[in-house]
Amino acid sequence: MPLDRRRFLQLSALGVVSSFADLACDRDGRSAASADDKPQLLSLLGPDRVREIGSHYRAATPGENTPDALRAAISKSRGFHIPLLGHESFDDRIQDDFEKGRTVIVDGWVLSLTEARQAALFSLTPS
Amino acid sequence: MHTDARTLPNGTVLEGDLCIVGAGASGITIAREFANSPLKVLLLEGGGFEFEQQMQDLYRGENVGLPYFPLQAAALHYFGGTTNHWAGYCSTMEPIDLEKRDWVPHSGWPITRADLDPFYARAQPVLDLGPYKYDAADWKNNDPDRVPLLGDSRVVWTKMWQFSPPTRFGTKYRDEIVKSPNIHLYTHANVVEIEANEGLTAVRSARIRSFDGKEYHARARSFVLACHTIQNARLLLASNRQATTGLGNANDLVGRYFMEHFEMPSGELALADPQSTKTKLYELANLGGPPRGELALTAATQREHRILHGTANVEAGNYGDQVPSTFQFIDTVMMNKVREWQKGGRKGPHPIGIAAAALAPRDKGPPRFYHMMTRQEQAPNPDSRVTLSTEKDALGVPRAKLDWRVTELDKRSIRTFYQLLGREMGRTRTGRVQIRDWLLSDDKTWPAFISGGWHHMGTTRMHSDPRQGVVDANCRVHGLANLYIGGAAVFPTAGAVNPTLTLVALSLRLADHLKS
Repeated sequence: MPLDRRRFLQLSALGVVSSFADLACDRDGRSAASADDKPQLLSLLGPDRVREIGSHYRAATPGENTPDALRAAISKSRGFHIPLLGHESFDDRIQDDFEKGRTVIVDGWVLSLTEARQAALFSLTPS
Repeated sequence: MHTDARTLPNGTVLEGDLCIVGAGASGITIAREFANSPLKVLLLEGGGFEFEQQMQDLYRGENVGLPYFPLQAAALHYFGGTTNHWAGYCSTMEPIDLEKRDWVPHSGWPITRADLDPFYARAQPVLDLGPYKYDAADWKNNDPDRVPLLGDSRVVWTKMWQFSPPTRFGTKYRDEIVKSPNIHLYTHANVVEIEANEGLTAVRSARIRSFDGKEYHARARSFVLACHTIQNARLLLASNRQATTGLGNANDLVGRYFMEHFEMPSGELALADPQSTKTKLYELANLGGPPRGELALTAATQREHRILHGTANVEAGNYGDQVPSTFQFIDTVMMNKVREWQKGGRKGPHPIGIAAAALAPRDKGPPRFYHMMTRQEQAPNPDSRVTLSTEKDALGVPRAKLDWRVTELDKRSIRTFYQLLGREMGRTRTGRVQIRDWLLSDDKTWPAFISGGWHHMGTTRMHSDPRQGVVDANCRVHGLANLYIGGAAVFPTAGAVNPTLTLVALSLRLADHLKS
């Protein structure tokens, strides 16, 4: 379901708690199952295709071939920050990418730059 | 009235007010406009009322350019012409299609869409279509699911197609033509030369030849060549006894600017929410069924990105890795199957439909996925042309030689279309678009499965300047007072729609001009 901005604000407040819980469960000192690792594309294309897309992106973008580099790129490109509530939602960010023409073609797919990076990050997680 | 020309004595001279060469969609449409008038119309058809291999072989020719259909399979040579096997897709050119576009070399018609509108309206019943309405809102049919995708987009809109049953002119209009007291139909009357007066300012007669060597002449005050885009050019070029480069060809334009529509699988669409996204408006129930939509870019978007006009149909499933080519599956073997099907009373599904169904959506997949087929104009290109072969047909006329060529703008336009479509699908959260590999390489190379729609246009293009077109705005050949061209041969640009509706509209307009 598309997420409008009002619903984003409502859920972001809950997200603070949720993210905190994720971190608390992490044994490797890494934020497991964060939103970065779960691109929306999964529901459209399934994990195999998203991994494939992610691999293509990393191959075409050598500077973004590690989790740290990808997380940094995603974080850097994320939009406005609302104090206490967090960043702009990925859903809105992706829509804004399409609106502004920040798109890339990966494996033929016309994707938002943000979701292409999400796919690349996802492709680095164990299947 | 009808006469089989093979029964005429050698040397017969046929006399009339108007002589129409070719009894296909254009020729029959023009002739019908003169039915029961005081004018005597000679309607000359090279074939008979049924398919004959000997007649069809007269259309055989050479392909020396990009891969193309065998020419003898690309058009039919008997009464009713190519309407004997057309599929019935009809839609209108958009205003931008007829405009001069500075990014499309040689574009611009000497008439506007508004000039065509009344004739489009008159063409609808000729082709057994519905009312002259082509807005998606007009075809909702009280069904809430028949709504456009991306309804609020300023980039993408939905262009509607209506479907003729399809009307077979040779069947539907045969009795009307034959029973008309002032229309004299001659079958098996193959014109081998157009003869002009001494000053080459007007046509005097059409020379007809039969397989047994007999010759006849048809004389009239006005002549219309309506014998198919490639054959019109061939006949003018072959009429070179008086004018060495061919009749109407003082500026070396006859045969040039041959155009097709690209019809090629180009992309896939994955819907974000298949349950609530409505795609019913885009479904093709069956040929002759309710109107359906195809996705297109708005005129403003075409201008902004300086691209050609194209559309994409949206159908459930995907082709997988094997991309079919219409050139490959609609070959001469297939055409023989079609003829058998026709002779057998047209029982059961159309053979081309069976073949298409076998090739398309092999892997149906979930309803989330759709494949998209491009239908796009090609840019007018003077080097894409019909000339004469050194080989002659059984009647001694040089065969046609087709050198089909395309431009970089053609491919860039298709790719840009899908990029913009992908952006709009993402922006509106409708889904994602995948562009096929062949579009992502350079703009010069084309895949082996390059395909057209069997749409032949442009070899005697319309322009008010004789140095830029063969016919004027009234379809009259420049420099010849009484010779006109009927059919898609006069299109200066191809638009993004199948040509039949427009060529029938232009034929009605030509008939009005001839009456006046």
